[in-house]
Amino acid sequence: MTLANRVAAEIEEMPPASAVSLQVGVDFYLDAIRAVIDIYASKRDIEVVYVTATISYQAITDILKALEIDSSKVHFVDCISHTMMSSSMQGSQVLFVESPTMLENIMLKTEYLLRKSGEKEKLVLLDSINSLAIHNSNNVLSEFLHIFVSSLRSRNVNTLILSVMEHTSQELSNMVNLVCDSTIRAREEEEPK
Amino acid sequence: MVEDERGRERCRTGIDALDNILYGGIPRSNTILLTGSCGTGKTSLALEFLLHGAIEGENSMFISVTEASEKLLANIIPYDFFDKKLMSGNKLILVDLPMIYQRLGLVKAELSMEEVGLLVSSILDLIKELKVKRLVVDSITSIGYKLKTQEKIRDFILKLAKGLSTAGCTSILVSEVSTGSEAYSTFMVEEALADGIILMGNMERRGDLLRTLQVIKMRGTTHSRAKYVLDLTPVGVLLVPLLKGGGGG
Repeated sequence: MTLANRVAAEIEEMPPASAVSLQVGVDFYLDAIRAVIDIYASKRDIEVVYVTATISYQAITDILKALEIDSSKVHFVDCISHTMMSSSMQGSQVLFVESPTMLENIMLKTEYLLRKSGEKEKLVLLDSINSLAIHNSNNVLSEFLHIFVSSLRSRNVNTLILSVMEHTSQELSNMVNLVCDSTIRAREEEEPK
Repeated sequence: MVEDERGRERCRTGIDALDNILYGGIPRSNTILLTGSCGTGKTSLALEFLLHGAIEGENSMFISVTEASEKLLANIIPYDFFDKKLMSGNKLILVDLPMIYQRLGLVKAELSMEEVGLLVSSILDLIKELKVKRLVVDSITSIGYKLKTQEKIRDFILKLAKGLSTAGCTSILVSEVSTGSEAYSTFMVEEALADGIILMGNMERRGDLLRTLQVIKMRGTTHSRAKYVLDLTPVGVLLVPLLKGGGGG
């Protein structure tokens, strides 16, 4: 079983309304995103809200397109394009937040997309806690995670919080663990040969 | 006292988060001051309150003081739940106050005490005739400029609020304050006379500008007094708590 398949299998076992910490090695970051989108948006008919603070909506969709992964059921909250002063053309699949420091607006845009998606099963992918930690203090980030995850849980929405192991301090890891029900760890060298 | 509060009938605003903040909605027949500086979303919120009322079958009236209603409609957010049939069916009624001024012959720059009485009576007659259960006046500040003195403004609001309450009409008076103002109203009497005050603002935090909402007072119900961040969207006003660790206001 490949690492991507193992992660995919573990994610598929997420019970409803749960929050899972997905800790990946830096080499596995793109594969992890691909695995999540492929399972949820392509194979299972689930609406995905992808909150990106790491790479722009445009870059992610280009990658998914190159990998021939259907991302039509993915809606993006892009909170990095404005900050990078890069092109942020409005599209039907994306809402922009001016800065990763506007954590309340991330919650509001996510809420809007969830309301628009109706009664379907939903998943929110937060990519990544490391990027948000660059722009926000641990205090406010911890408060944000608590409110955000609790609110999603109360609405039966699954949450996946992505973090990159090599860039995650113990304090940040504890913060994520506090709001999550379980952890999936995925790094190339951890796989049995 | 608690029993009385629980027993008070509510007028649900239809804005879920605001209804939660107010433990079910605005106490029926209350007159609320919706105040804030420009660009904070007052008109959008007030209009949404009326739209939800109209959808629920309550006759709802918007009295526009400065802006023509056609222009208002052209500029509002394209709400998913807005249906023009609400207007043709007289569920949503838009009234331009300058038309009333003209009909009553109130053409002078400043109204007399008698004319204030006449204006209130005309508005209340409309409310009763059209069986209006929700009213928005946008803005009370603009009317205040025509009344000039605190005495006349006080008289206008007192008579209007009493008449609206008797008619079972829940109302929102939109108030404009200048940016950075500590007061909730321009003439200082509006805030004292209203049953409730909802304050909307623009809060700057580390270079980010956030729209905020806070319920300052609301007679007839317990309510949260915390500050919330809001977004104006096609599904309506959305609110989330202001993160305390974020600093600022």
